[in-house]
Amino acid sequence: MTSRRTRLLAGVVAVVAVIVALLMTGLGRDPSVIASPLVGRAAPNFTLPQLGGPPVTLAKLRGQVVVINFWASWCTECQVEQAALDQAWQQFQDSGVVVIGVNFQDTTGAARDYVRTDGVTYPVVEDAGSKTALAYGLRGVPETFVVNRRGRIVNHVIGPVSAATLITEINSMLLKGTQ
Amino acid sequence: MSQLGTYLLLFALAVSGYGLIAATVGAKTGRPALVESARRCAFALFATVAAACVTMLAALLTNDFAIRYVADNSARETPAFFKALSLWAADDGSLLLWNLILAGYIAAVALRFRRDRPPTFPYALGVLFGVQVFYLTLINGPARPFASLANPPADGRGPAPLLQNHPLMAVHPPFLYLGFIGFTVPFAFGVAALLAGQGSDQWVSVIRRWTLVVWCFLTVGLVLGALWSYSVLGWGGYWAWDPVENVALLPWLTSTAFLHSVMLQERRGMARLWNIALVIGAFALMTFGTFLTRGNVLSSVHAFAQTSVGPAYLAFLALVLLAGFGLVAWRLPELRTPATLTSAISREGAFVANNVLLLAATAIILLGTTFPLVVEAVSGQQVTVGGPYFRSSVTPVFLLILLLAGTAPLLPWRATNRSRALRRLRVPATAAALVVIVTAGAGVHQVAAVAGFGLATLVFVTSTQEILTGLAIGRRGLRGGAVRALARGRRRHAGLVVHIGLALVAAGIVASSSLGQQTQVTLKTGQSTVFAGQVLRYQGLRTDQQPQRIVLTATVSVTDPGGGAAGTLGPRMNLYPASTEPIGSPSIRRGIVWDLYASVISLQQSGGSATFRFYRNPGVNWLWFGGLVMALGGAAAAWPGRRRRNPGDNQGASTTRKRTAVEAGAR
Amino acid sequence: MTAAGTLRRARAGLAGLLVLIALVAGLATLVIVAAGGHPRASQAQQVQQIAAGLHCPICKDLSVADSPAPLAQQIRQEIAQKLRAGESADQIRAGFVAAYGDSVLMSPPRHGLAGAVYYLPLLVLAAGLITAFMVLRRWLRAPSPDPPQAASPPLSAAQRRAVAKAVARLREEEPG
Repeated sequence: MTSRRTRLLAGVVAVVAVIVALLMTGLGRDPSVIASPLVGRAAPNFTLPQLGGPPVTLAKLRGQVVVINFWASWCTECQVEQAALDQAWQQFQDSGVVVIGVNFQDTTGAARDYVRTDGVTYPVVEDAGSKTALAYGLRGVPETFVVNRRGRIVNHVIGPVSAATLITEINSMLLKGTQ
Repeated sequence: MSQLGTYLLLFALAVSGYGLIAATVGAKTGRPALVESARRCAFALFATVAAACVTMLAALLTNDFAIRYVADNSARETPAFFKALSLWAADDGSLLLWNLILAGYIAAVALRFRRDRPPTFPYALGVLFGVQVFYLTLINGPARPFASLANPPADGRGPAPLLQNHPLMAVHPPFLYLGFIGFTVPFAFGVAALLAGQGSDQWVSVIRRWTLVVWCFLTVGLVLGALWSYSVLGWGGYWAWDPVENVALLPWLTSTAFLHSVMLQERRGMARLWNIALVIGAFALMTFGTFLTRGNVLSSVHAFAQTSVGPAYLAFLALVLLAGFGLVAWRLPELRTPATLTSAISREGAFVANNVLLLAATAIILLGTTFPLVVEAVSGQQVTVGGPYFRSSVTPVFLLILLLAGTAPLLPWRATNRSRALRRLRVPATAAALVVIVTAGAGVHQVAAVAGFGLATLVFVTSTQEILTGLAIGRRGLRGGAVRALARGRRRHAGLVVHIGLALVAAGIVASSSLGQQTQVTLKTGQSTVFAGQVLRYQGLRTDQQPQRIVLTATVSVTDPGGGAAGTLGPRMNLYPASTEPIGSPSIRRGIVWDLYASVISLQQSGGSATFRFYRNPGVNWLWFGGLVMALGGAAAAWPGRRRRNPGDNQGASTTRKRTAVEAGAR
Repeated sequence: MTAAGTLRRARAGLAGLLVLIALVAGLATLVIVAAGGHPRASQAQQVQQIAAGLHCPICKDLSVADSPAPLAQQIRQEIAQKLRAGESADQIRAGFVAAYGDSVLMSPPRHGLAGAVYYLPLLVLAAGLITAFMVLRRWLRAPSPDPPQAASPPLSAAQRRAVAKAVARLREEEPG
């Protein structure tokens, strides 16, 4: 084997190795999951009309932990997380935690029916025109944002959120005390 | 039926495994009996895989929901036509189709070479069986279509709504697969030539025609894909620069480059190394495309959901790259050709330019498509590389390719007598210049569009002029006249016809990308709007209850400004039980120059009001027609000519050169 | 030269001149079109332009301009509102990037590692041209491999005339 041949072969092996290594990194991730740039930043403020109550302004909830959940009556996956959100609300509403449901691309009638039949107990607001959804970088429903007492987004969950995740998150923030 | 299918596929795997071993051992130890037994296995293999496909088809048509694939992709209410199409609607089933077509190609190779064979045949057969072993292993392992369910449901989920909306589903995947999988054959013969040390021109004459036929299939498959995107998806366009669309284009570009540079090898014995590399590259790109589509690496409209097969495809890709290019590197000293050239401005030089441009386009599209992957791997940043980038980077290359296609057929081999070439350029160049002036005068303000129209004209006039000249020369002194003249210069004339098709496609692309108009408007029942010089009135909503879906048709009447009724448009919204969102179907009034295209975006007040998107799409039908012309031209070039002796393509360069010399004399 | 010959030459020269004029006019037109300014875009067109540069968040490949999805429509309305409020195109795009990340832009941002993609086409073309140049140079320099002609019996004058006539006719007709 001439040295030129060896060098050429080594070159081919090296290039193929680099290509394979690059493509392997792609295999480990789900390409449809896109990281939200809002985590760690201030939660965009909003004032939205509430179903059966006065309008809700996020800035006025500073000092409490806020769980913002985007949902829609036509979204089948949203029903999966309904129980978890209700449980969190029941458990923590007296500890300085607020759960808000933001209705996305829906009609008032359908939203009201859903609230009634599924037994939603926490405040529900409507986002007609999707201004708030766009400000939060929404790519679909359900998506949940957890905001700490200083108004910063600390977690973002795509898809139905589990009770375990919610309770862990809220507990860890309550334990931090006045932070 | 699940058991029958599983056993058939296992048996197929065993047969192909035997074929691989027998062919390779027979090739290495020089035992023709072994090779012959491997060759006959190809037919058994095809029969077995075909039987498995028929079994799946039967399972689909008889609603055998015990099989998981049937339960996931078919339902009782699905019409029988679409039940049959479900065979290739999802990952596992389409892999079954893939295996069938691959087995079909191997059987075709076995049939074609039942008598006279090139020395590369045994190794090529081995490589073909090897590839089949990989795909059959997948279908017997991680991607089993005949996997059964413990508790079969009463009814299936039905095919994805988008895949049962239009009969084009019947032809787009099969033609595309025929195109993709076909590249295995030239690859096998190329690798075999490298293995057997046959670097000479022998393998080229075998490969050229196969590649041409595969190219025709791929051209049709790509055009059908664009036609589907246009007629079914409702966004008014035909090419979204989706990652899977992009990688499907890469083997097409590479094989087009090969079909041109192969003439360098046939005529002048040049570029042997390059041609083998191109053939291996086309197959590698196709394998990479398969990995990207099925490995869930990039987000795409076409992506299949399976994640467990990704590593397998990657490993296979690595094997193909290492084996293919490793062998090229190994045989490099023997493949170098002692080629000469008198001048760069010649047919040879033009083919070099052709390859540079086509491969530049390939590289730009490949790098752009994989760029998000690379960036995320290196820095974690997530970016998108979309249509605008590809359009602006590929357009200049595309225009240069048109320029080449319009001038190169006039250039002589070996650069003899170029002044004649210049003289023949006069009429096309003038026509192109006139079109440029007229187009600019008509108000087109994008320079790429004006240049595009001019260059498309150049290609069209040059090709037509050369065909007519060829006819005129050939007719003199020949009985039978034009037809015989056409037949004797067949390859050249067919190539020119393909260029005419290219000119039509180019004109279509330029027109639709720069002269299109669109509008979005909400109309109440009875209300009308004016668009593209026509009055469009929303007449109302019609509901149609079908077993598998509810169809809502929003009827729009089209009236000429003069008052004459021109027709109706009926864009639809299809509501499928399995899907929360309706699937829209556009309605198109096709015309020779432009299409009137309507989509219904949303409905309000139970159909009392509807939001429409109307488009005026010029030139789109030139695209479909041009694509058809290209495929027909390619088929004409691949058609077997009059054979002077027995199937003797393995005689190699000497026969090919003689034949082309005769063809040259006839022009 | 006969009168007919002179006339033929004059006509050929005139034809060549006309072709040249046409070509120059065509090229000039292209330059004019390229340099020509684009008409000022109306607000609707501005919305389209900005929307065409944004990737519809719930679609796979379509831009906000092309997508029929309701969210895309709401984004277009948002863009129109922001334009009316006086925001510039860059500010509007930055607003969406703040909420969705860089991937909401149809093309990567020009700075940083991601901006390298804009240099790729030029690099690719340059690499291709250099390779072609090297290949052509090697081919041009190699000596011709045509074997020397075997000695053949000399042709008679009549045969030579016949050959010359056939060659002349071929040269006239053959494109090459």
